[in-house]
Amino acid sequence: MNSKIFTFVVILSMIASANALAQERKLEGEISVTGVAPKIEGQKAKFNEYRDIRDGVYAGVDLRYDAEKYYLDFKAEDVGYKTQKYGLEGGKWGSFKYRFDYNEIPHNFTYGAKSFYTGIGGANLTYPTQPPSTNISTWTTFDYSVERTNYGGGIKLDMLKPFYFDVSFNKDQRKGIYPFGAAGTTPGGLAVELPAPIDFVTDNLKLEAGYAKNPFSFSLGYFYSEFRNNNGSLNFRDPATVNTAATTDSLTLPPNNSYYKLEFKGAVKLPLNSKFNANLATSSAQSSGNLFDSYVADVTAATSNIGVQGRTGVILSGRVFNGKVDTQNYDFLLTSSPLYFLDGKIFYKYYNTSNRSDQITTTDSSALPATFTNDLFDYRKEKYGAELGFKLPASFYLTTAYTRVQTHRTVREDIPNNDDDIYGIDLRWSGLDFMVAKVGYQRLQRRGDFEWPTVTDPTDVNNIEQFVRRFDVAPRDRDTYKAAVDFFPLENLNFSLGYKYKDTNYKDTILGLRSDKRSEFTIDGDYLIAKRVRLFAYFDYEYVKLDQFERQLPSPTTSYNPALPPTSTAFNWTVNQTETNYGYGLGADIYIIPQKLTLKLQHNSFKSDGFADYTYLRNFAAADGSRTQDNIDINNWGSYETRYYLAKVIYGVTKSLSLSAGYAYEKYIYDDAQYNGYSYLPTSATGATLGYLTGAYNAPSYEAHVVFLGVAFRF
Amino acid sequence: MRKFLTFLSFFPIFIFLWGAFPSARVEGSDGVVGVEICKGCHEGHYNSYLKSTHAKKAIPNSPASKDGCETCHGPGAAHVEKSGERGVGIFIFSKKIADATAKSSKCLSCHGDTRDLSSWDLAKHKSVGVSCDNCHTVHSGARKNLKAAQPDLCNICHRSIRAQENKQSHHPIREGKIKCTDCHDHHGGFGQHMVKADSMNELCYSCHAEKRGPYMWQHPPVEENCLNCHTPHGSNISKLLTMRMPQLCQSCHDSTRHPGTIYSRFETFQGATPSNKMFARACLNCHSTIHGSNAPSARGRTHVR
Repeated sequence: MNSKIFTFVVILSMIASANALAQERKLEGEISVTGVAPKIEGQKAKFNEYRDIRDGVYAGVDLRYDAEKYYLDFKAEDVGYKTQKYGLEGGKWGSFKYRFDYNEIPHNFTYGAKSFYTGIGGANLTYPTQPPSTNISTWTTFDYSVERTNYGGGIKLDMLKPFYFDVSFNKDQRKGIYPFGAAGTTPGGLAVELPAPIDFVTDNLKLEAGYAKNPFSFSLGYFYSEFRNNNGSLNFRDPATVNTAATTDSLTLPPNNSYYKLEFKGAVKLPLNSKFNANLATSSAQSSGNLFDSYVADVTAATSNIGVQGRTGVILSGRVFNGKVDTQNYDFLLTSSPLYFLDGKIFYKYYNTSNRSDQITTTDSSALPATFTNDLFDYRKEKYGAELGFKLPASFYLTTAYTRVQTHRTVREDIPNNDDDIYGIDLRWSGLDFMVAKVGYQRLQRRGDFEWPTVTDPTDVNNIEQFVRRFDVAPRDRDTYKAAVDFFPLENLNFSLGYKYKDTNYKDTILGLRSDKRSEFTIDGDYLIAKRVRLFAYFDYEYVKLDQFERQLPSPTTSYNPALPPTSTAFNWTVNQTETNYGYGLGADIYIIPQKLTLKLQHNSFKSDGFADYTYLRNFAAADGSRTQDNIDINNWGSYETRYYLAKVIYGVTKSLSLSAGYAYEKYIYDDAQYNGYSYLPTSATGATLGYLTGAYNAPSYEAHVVFLGVAFRF
Repeated sequence: MRKFLTFLSFFPIFIFLWGAFPSARVEGSDGVVGVEICKGCHEGHYNSYLKSTHAKKAIPNSPASKDGCETCHGPGAAHVEKSGERGVGIFIFSKKIADATAKSSKCLSCHGDTRDLSSWDLAKHKSVGVSCDNCHTVHSGARKNLKAAQPDLCNICHRSIRAQENKQSHHPIREGKIKCTDCHDHHGGFGQHMVKADSMNELCYSCHAEKRGPYMWQHPPVEENCLNCHTPHGSNISKLLTMRMPQLCQSCHDSTRHPGTIYSRFETFQGATPSNKMFARACLNCHSTIHGSNAPSARGRTHVR
């Protein structure tokens, strides 16, 4: 298919550019071939997460054809590999442009995963006898990986300037296997890791017509997208059940959906060096699904019952769910520079989602409450504000800004409304020829209308709602400070420093995330010495600290209030998570013989130390075993280190022909308490099975040596 | 809708304003000396200009079809009269002399009428003093005249983004499979953080269409903003998460039984009391449909099916 498309594309492009052949023309470009020999130890999937580096020859083509009126560019990378990419672009200057793209992107998660299921890669997972084999050596080995293929094209017509017209399309296909999880029994049962099939296709079409000539510009755009999943559900035999049916359970996978958007954008120049801009859009997303297609009763369902409404356990008010969410967006923005020292901007944004999906009432005898209806969440945001910039004496530039955001949510019972006030001030100084300095400060104040359900039963779990503030909407004060200095004292020397500190205080939060503090520091330098050596280096440092306050409770309980004295089963606890990240890079391009022999050296490193400090806000009891406040902490909370070295020599045999050779080394060491000591069949302290896992994301560390030799021909 | 109709009522004013203001001032040709004079002293610059699309006479409105070098640098007569002293009597794009607005306005006098730059006034880049020549070189043969390829070009200024791209969980930006401009409108737009969408979710769904739903069982923070749980440029935590599980989920879900239970080192694989709420993928070991579910029954509502 690929070759057909590109043969077609090349022919089409040549036809379109036929007139160019009669003119003065120039063809230039580069063809390169690189032989690669890697040696990879450890998890190859992580090494090749978005790559496809293996033994072989990698070819690249970069062609550029130029005539006085026409042009045509063609690029190809990694021909024949899972990362292959092709692009063809051409057109007539000032008249039309066209492009065709083809791009493959692998996303590898874990190679060598294992499962007792048969049918991996499809939508029906089963195993021959109950219970499944616990002999892992007999399990099927497979890879968690998704291959994405994206191709499309478009044409832009400008021949009727100032009017223009664009049309583009693209198709995105994804195929592979991805880890999904399901509770074998609920609530709180064993976990079953399922290799779920990915077989998605998305088609996108975009049309735009517009006009652009001072003092006006406007456009009308239409976008249509259709997503299809070739597997609506994942049927699997559940090892937690004891029945003998081959298929016992089902998990929903993303449903087919469609989406359209109609959009108007316009701008008009006004007096006093001003411009009024507007963006008006309406869109709608829709999906539809037969609910019983993805439902198999827990234990007793027979195949004949599948799809029959009203059978044991569950009664629905409708068999089909029709999802529909409409969105309206309006932006109005006025920019103005009425005086040479003043730049201004005022804006208003309205964004509203309307959920018009079906509401389905479920009667589920195993649930509490037994009858419930899906809520239809939607929200509205209004945002307005102003920004003023002042050119001040002595080469200072001051920017002040204020933004107010009001958010209203339906079916969000904890905090349905937020009001945000955001104040900002930035000062830039460019008083010297060799440096620019910037400082800035921003403050966010978020308020929220907090509500909680009225409950009369002291054991009702909703009692805890009065203490929980969810971080996405919780009231907060956030202060952000930043500073940066760029030096460029010489034409060939640049040096930069940057600092940022962000402190978020969730001031009303009793249970939940209470504080988020982040600081980061960056240094960069680049120096070209006597046109013979280019040195470059960077250093990045980041520190993140998150403080969380929670409450552990038995069920049922009346002890929801965190102010109550702790007991062995109802008590508060905290976790403070920190990340300390260091990254640096050093490099040199040494032009040993200018234009002839170049040596490139590079070293990059990134290290992250994660730490989780837990505290029980009660004394430990005998039932806690050997726990202390220190040995419960986790000092390898997603810690990792990446080291990369590169040495490469480029020799220009002639002006057109160059050879390159090199060696690259990459090492990734991952150390995480959640994966160390991984078990496919983990058991509890009492020996009960806790899950059937497949090895997803386990042991991602790797070490790779790559030797490469290349030749490039330029013309 | 009422607000939309209110806005529509302003359209007659739009129509009235149509053509009410003249086009941008066109530079006169007074004092133009011609490219041959420029070439006499600046042959290197002239030759690099010849390689660029600016030098194509066939392109309507190109510098070559107008006053050549002086289309951008201004008439050169005064510069020549003053013995060609650097920056005297002529406009040059050196960052040490010209300010960003002046430099960009030179480019916009031709490119301002194009659809790509019609929103430049909205760009954060403009308000923080970025000018066209920060990213583009005017004299070059490269398409779009970019000074470097993405993401290196963007990372020159956005250094904290570079640090995030280097983290273990990241979009394939440094692998060259996704470009900054796939998501951001570097020349300005209406979106927050210059994204090419009216909301963050709209942007994310443009690639992750499977998350679009709409689902029967929604997860409100997911519907409102993907960035409540994910960070786009890079994270130490798999899936570009902002916080590790189970802490991420427990930040909101504190209740009886496992949502409020403390899971520490003791609940890991190597701990004394392993728990499937803590080891491996933690909450996701069971709750895999957190982006939405169409499963009937309470199991869909709790996102375990």
